Amino acid sequence: MNLWKRMGAAALAGALALSLVACGGGGDSSAPAGSTAGGGSSTAAETTGSKVLNVMVEVEVASLDPQLATDGTSFEVIADYTDGLMQMDAEGAAVPAIAESYEVSEDGCTYTFHLRDDAVWSNGDPVTANDFVFAWQRAADPATASEYSYMTSDIAQIKNAAEIIAGEKDKSELGVTAVDDKTLQVELNVPVPYFLSLMYFPTFYPVNQAFYESLEEGTFGTSPETVLSNGAFILDSYEPAALSFSLVKNPDYYDADSIQLDGLNYQVIKDSQQAFMSYQNGDLDIVKLSGDQVDQVQGDPELSVQGAGYLWYLTLNMAEVPALANQNMRLALTHAIDRVAIVEDVVKDGSLATYTAVPPQFATGPDGSDFSADQTMFSDVCSDDPTKAAEYFEAAKQELGTDTFTFDLLVEDTTESQNVAAVIQEQIQTNLPGVTVSITVEPKKQRVEDIQDGNYEVCLTRWGPDYADPMTYLNMWITDNNNNYGKWSNPDYDQIIADCTTGQYVSDAAARWQAMYDAEKIIMDEAVIVPVYTKADANMIKSNVTGIEFHPVALNRVYKNTTKG
Amino acid sequence: MKNYILKRVLISVFTLLVITLVLFCLLQLMPGSPFNDEKLTDDQRTVLYEKYGLDDPIPVQFVRYVANMVQGDFGVSYNISKNTPISQLIQSRLPISIQVGGMAVALGAVVGLLLGVIAALNHNTILDSICTAISVLGVSVPSYVFALGLSYVFGFRLKLFPMLYSANEAFMSSVLPSVALSMFTMASIARFTRNEMMEVLGSEFMLLAESKGVTGAPLILRHALRNAMIPIITVLAPLIVDLMTGSLVVEKIFSIPGVGSLLVTAIQSNDYNVVISLSFIYSAMYIGIMLVVDILYGIIDPRIRVTGEGGRPGFFARWRRVWFGNKKKGAKA
Repeated sequence: MNLWKRMGAAALAGALALSLVACGGGGDSSAPAGSTAGGGSSTAAETTGSKVLNVMVEVEVASLDPQLATDGTSFEVIADYTDGLMQMDAEGAAVPAIAESYEVSEDGCTYTFHLRDDAVWSNGDPVTANDFVFAWQRAADPATASEYSYMTSDIAQIKNAAEIIAGEKDKSELGVTAVDDKTLQVELNVPVPYFLSLMYFPTFYPVNQAFYESLEEGTFGTSPETVLSNGAFILDSYEPAALSFSLVKNPDYYDADSIQLDGLNYQVIKDSQQAFMSYQNGDLDIVKLSGDQVDQVQGDPELSVQGAGYLWYLTLNMAEVPALANQNMRLALTHAIDRVAIVEDVVKDGSLATYTAVPPQFATGPDGSDFSADQTMFSDVCSDDPTKAAEYFEAAKQELGTDTFTFDLLVEDTTESQNVAAVIQEQIQTNLPGVTVSITVEPKKQRVEDIQDGNYEVCLTRWGPDYADPMTYLNMWITDNNNNYGKWSNPDYDQIIADCTTGQYVSDAAARWQAMYDAEKIIMDEAVIVPVYTKADANMIKSNVTGIEFHPVALNRVYKNTTKG
Repeated sequence: MKNYILKRVLISVFTLLVITLVLFCLLQLMPGSPFNDEKLTDDQRTVLYEKYGLDDPIPVQFVRYVANMVQGDFGVSYNISKNTPISQLIQSRLPISIQVGGMAVALGAVVGLLLGVIAALNHNTILDSICTAISVLGVSVPSYVFALGLSYVFGFRLKLFPMLYSANEAFMSSVLPSVALSMFTMASIARFTRNEMMEVLGSEFMLLAESKGVTGAPLILRHALRNAMIPIITVLAPLIVDLMTGSLVVEKIFSIPGVGSLLVTAIQSNDYNVVISLSFIYSAMYIGIMLVVDILYGIIDPRIRVTGEGGRPGFFARWRRVWFGNKKKGAKA
């Protein structure tokens, strides 16, 4: 009996020890642990070679399905191996890609694209007009549940898209037709001045229907075997939510001769310290820095700052907070903030102090100039000016009949937001004596829900452009828009926006451009929002790497013209 | 013994079910949806909720989820990796976490045991103080500090190990994270072993063994350590579970494609199915480990089985012993 027990104990203890050893030793080279998933998709089989670019990203790819993807990382990777009808040039302008040429009808509502003959998928199939029809119908189809379905309806104004999304019409009625294999015709409800620039947005990328339908349901875009490339690179190793994956040059790409890189290695690194050390180690060719790290490398020739297009601003709850419904109070707040100090002493990554409701660096007009290049345009109603702030504050106190105010400033739980909020709190309390600002910190999801429900007083929030047109911002402040967090309403403003999107200005680019300035002036005059800064990304790029193209909209980084020597 | 095990297993299964239900309810309280709340209109959100069945009442969702889960279907991810089955996500990641965690446990247990024995045998000497200092450091400094420090010294400066996880060098790139993770286990085990050993060494049967002429290694290994082992195995179990928590941060630092980093991302982005599945797995592992320990315990020390459950220290008693020393001796009363 005793012996039996002893043996049992020994056996169990041995088994435990063995399992530990097995765990410990199981990792040596022979079997990469990731290889079990996805039918032979390999994990991080690194592409090597001197002309392979090692790229850091902060988050995993959320989806390689162009109609489901919504985030910058996914877009960047999808665009590495997929071309749309148009692609972005270095300046962000739309240039022909899969479409060799196009015609626009006189009324601006019909686009006819002629596809290149030499564009092929990586399985050898030619890229046809039907690939676009299939993909766009997927984007609008409620069964796909694409978060960016509104790109086809509200933004691109494709005929019947809105009805299809609402479930009122079948997806086959979408206003896009394959006239023949190489001719694609698109019908719009109204002329859309920025329509061509949408064509490089991944929601509008083609999908090879026959290939898609040959795959087991739900597996599209989950491994190198389940995607097709028609672009500069081919996916070489990838699995869902991979932390490292790679692409190699596509020899069959129609423009393969001008692609200098042999491939791309992606590494997801969430810890900025580790990322920077990996860069210094030589494991990465490009790395994104945090504000504090920028301080350490000031003056380094490898430091490179690019506009990210995101506007951080204060939204003021005019509907619920009587003091904020007072225009003089809002103007006092917007003058009480020292934006220059915020970007130079707190954010420190090259972000721009911003005095316009539409941030600079992402939208260029008919004459090719940046919509918000002139940051002094509204300086009479928005500037860093404590004296003016005090004047507006005096007026507000008179009108409101009190001289003490308390506001709660809601921010999300990132270090940068909290630091910026602390400085804003101090600036307002100093420049507007009598105002007390308290700070509430919440996770982002909670913050967004609260401001959408009107459950806040002042909130530091942000908005990123979805397409290269000021309307991606201006459209937010029309009456009853989901993102009109201040519940502000002005019929004149609504009218201008309607005229610009579906009304009298749609076919007159210059007049539309001017009208958008008029709209922006209303926002600024009434201090509907308090713009603070336009976010920039600070990157370190190795000196032997040139030609990475950065864009604030759609594709954040493009490597087609990148060289590594 | 059979009844004892059967009862334990049944309780475990029931506990898991309750945990899943609680998680399910808690997730409903989380603000926002798994989708991009900022950019979506209410109509679009409705479409997405319908597609994923999130518009059904919670009891309906729960029953459906459990029914699917029993068949091995844990649902799909909503945003970390859109529409990817969770089982596929976890399948490739769990072995990596287990590998790193396993290395950490093995390292922590062995080194901790050694340190503890050394400290106890050299009671009140400089060796004892050094061992104590190491264990105090290990318990009080969080694993991510070790992680960053190790990464800087051995990865960045000395270039002995890769700074980031790489599937091509799975073993080498697991060393630093494993060491960082093992510090807490090692320190706790060292401290605990020292206490237990001191007590055993001072007991009457040791005196008896010694007077019968048993000396040296046999005395320490067969008589002292074996008796000290029982409570140590018990604390090892919660420490293994502790490793899982530590792995959340350490995996992030070393970019390890394990389940820990996945869980953090999932919680932050409201990826309900991923959160529930991973929490379920974590709970299952926790309960599983406790189950194994309970059974092991009964085998190693027959007195426990003979006297029944009453003789075992409860969960809190075990923890109290880790943290507040060994003043109350429930196990060997």
